[in-house]
Amino acid sequence: MSRIYGWAGKVLQVDLTDETINKVPTTNYKPQEFIGGVGFNAKIFWELGCPKVDAFDPRNPLIISVGPLTGIYGPFGKGEVCSISPQCYPDELFTYSGFGGVFPAKMKYAGYDSIVISGKADGPVYLSIHDGAVEIKAANDLWGVDTFETQKVLMNDEPEASVLAIGPAGENLSRVAVILSETKFAAGQGGFGAVMGSKNLKAIAVRGTGVVEVAKPDRVMELARIIMEENEKLIPRLRSIFRVPYTAPQETRDVFARKYFKKHYGCYGCPQQCHSIHHIPGIGLSGVSCADWLWAPTFSIDPKEIWEANVLSQRLGINTFEGIIGLPFLLALSLRSGILTSKEIEEDIDLPTPKWLGGTATNHEFLTALLGKIANGESPYAGGTARFTEHFGKRLVSGKKLVELYEELYTARGYVFHHVDNLGSALHWATDTRDPIDSCHDYKNPSFPEANEHFGLPRYDSYQIVDLTKTVYQGAERVAAWVEDNQCLKNSLPVCEFWSMMPNFYRPPGMDIRIFESSMLSAATGLDMDADQLAKAGERIWNLRRAIMVKRENRTRENDTLNEPYFRKAITCLAGSATGLVNGPIDKAKFEALKDRYYDLRGWDVDTGWPTRAKLEGLGLDDIADELASIGRLPEVPS
Amino acid sequence: MTNRKAPLFAVSCSLLAVAINGGKRSLREIPKAALIVHDPKMCAGCGVCEVMCSLYHEGVLGPALARSHVVRQPFTAEHSRDTCQQCSSPSCYSACPLKDKAMRIDQTTGTAYVVDDGCTGCGACVDACPFDPPRISINLQKNVASKCDLCRERQAGPICVEYCPFQALKIASKDRRG
Repeated sequence: MSRIYGWAGKVLQVDLTDETINKVPTTNYKPQEFIGGVGFNAKIFWELGCPKVDAFDPRNPLIISVGPLTGIYGPFGKGEVCSISPQCYPDELFTYSGFGGVFPAKMKYAGYDSIVISGKADGPVYLSIHDGAVEIKAANDLWGVDTFETQKVLMNDEPEASVLAIGPAGENLSRVAVILSETKFAAGQGGFGAVMGSKNLKAIAVRGTGVVEVAKPDRVMELARIIMEENEKLIPRLRSIFRVPYTAPQETRDVFARKYFKKHYGCYGCPQQCHSIHHIPGIGLSGVSCADWLWAPTFSIDPKEIWEANVLSQRLGINTFEGIIGLPFLLALSLRSGILTSKEIEEDIDLPTPKWLGGTATNHEFLTALLGKIANGESPYAGGTARFTEHFGKRLVSGKKLVELYEELYTARGYVFHHVDNLGSALHWATDTRDPIDSCHDYKNPSFPEANEHFGLPRYDSYQIVDLTKTVYQGAERVAAWVEDNQCLKNSLPVCEFWSMMPNFYRPPGMDIRIFESSMLSAATGLDMDADQLAKAGERIWNLRRAIMVKRENRTRENDTLNEPYFRKAITCLAGSATGLVNGPIDKAKFEALKDRYYDLRGWDVDTGWPTRAKLEGLGLDDIADELASIGRLPEVPS
Repeated sequence: MTNRKAPLFAVSCSLLAVAINGGKRSLREIPKAALIVHDPKMCAGCGVCEVMCSLYHEGVLGPALARSHVVRQPFTAEHSRDTCQQCSSPSCYSACPLKDKAMRIDQTTGTAYVVDDGCTGCGACVDACPFDPPRISINLQKNVASKCDLCRERQAGPICVEYCPFQALKIASKDRRG
């Protein structure tokens, strides 16, 4: 490829141990096949040999990629982080986390499709990127500084830089530490903030003064108009829902809307700007979106307490899903169901108990104690809810019951429940390396049955678990496979979760989400890639991810499952207001039969769940098939 | 002095513009001597104006080649935007050694605009701009000056105004500045 459009053209490789900086052509990683984002991250990780090391080993690479559409007008503003995850439980798995904001576009304008960081610096450093000038700089003064203040310092030193930073939680190797940009954009799940911390890497500051060159600017302009029109349809759905704490009572919502809401904000170049900024004097200004509001109503409906929970976790660099939703929920439900007493929480677990934990402490006291322990790396709090439960499960009288409750709330691999309310989603949870939260809305399209049918999928209401009388296991495998491939594409092109759903851009037969994406990719890159070829790229990336699981993590069919309670009882779920919605149980035998059909559909071996040579070669992954064969993990083909 | 007053003009003009035209106007309706005003209260700092400007004028995407510049302030949410203030007697035009060849005045809108074929990229216009930072810059890829010309050849008017997701950009008549 003599000239490259769409992609920035270079992959930046930084080794913090040797202090070496290399730039290699993006074309080394077959961009037309692996697209970008998680596709690149997986390809790069595969080329590095899928190291079987711990998450905090210097040899664990932290890989950040954008995609060919990043930096273009539209819902393309995110980047993807992949690494071996300290949050995954019980085993640390290679997984992914997306983040929005301005950093991804700036990284692209600076000339990089991917940044690969390995090694470990001697002392605190940050990575300074100003177009082609890349330097590892001392960050001693920033160690211990929170995420907001770190960014302010770096933006002062490097005007107009966009920064990815960790807070004390990442420095102290908390397994639920995030990598944060601005006030709200985080690579949240995965605990990748701690991977940065383990490398003594406090931040990455990027300044990019280049541009994205597209192959067909006129076509991009035509598609921009379609995006603008689609945006008008989405605005009422996104901006208005997440502007206020939608799970809190009306009066709390009104206070935020009237007194504290400042404006919307979001990713660079996107017309949706679906996040919102609020400012409460004395607590501070920060950004917020969907899940950040979920502290309400269970723990508080007081606006200041809701806001403090957010701002504190963002400044400390803690995953809100764990620190202010997951673990507090586990404790609250433990108390409610008689597993723990208030006294045990106060004395054995050593946390102040506010009213909802049966005590008299304030929420402020609870939050500062819990988030403080997490940020300080104090065991077992900083290990995430999974490791916290394992620890106290062995020490408390009703520890066994505590573990059982955890297994209900944390569906699989140490990740908290979110939308496991239909069989397609349950199967996706079973086959991924973390919670597939960035695809949960794909499984929630009850109002658009015609879109399901357009893509050859069963109607939504047939594969729900919510209503057992209607549950049909047949066909859920097709839904999961479609969404998994869709997930790979949206995390590679990239396209925002909220825009990549089936009903969006839905104007059949000429336009649907896949046609839109392939049109934009073709216009940006000049590659002639139609919707079917693009869908195949999604499947290719999912297969590559599976190959990594098989090679590095010895993944087999046995591992493709959910925690045991999901097959035994109804689960009280955490979604939305954290009340009601009782699912399940999933019929174990039928679920196993569903897996049979899924592997068959995927072209994988039904006994092992390993991809077959025929499937891998069909996707152009011959070298991967050879490698899996050489380690004895390519299924034997019956002759 | 001039640049200190600019934000005040911008705010007052934008309020006026909301009252007068509700935001969108086609090119035919743009009055002579108009300017694009930015309402910092509405602006989300999203950069849509920058990417659409660079796409329309240069066929690429990125703030580096946009003719306006958003200064995003994530920790205050008070974003500002630097663009040509469409001076009545443009210093850039006066300073141009190839006046009426490299830089001309649009007879419909009164904006000074650069003709790429005539411009040598000497930078005299950049030095002459009374604003800090200058609202005209050199496009280093083409080595020509680059400034907002209100999308003078675009039927639907300035693309940034049309695409702004928050109607934070408005066309205002300079007559109203008094």
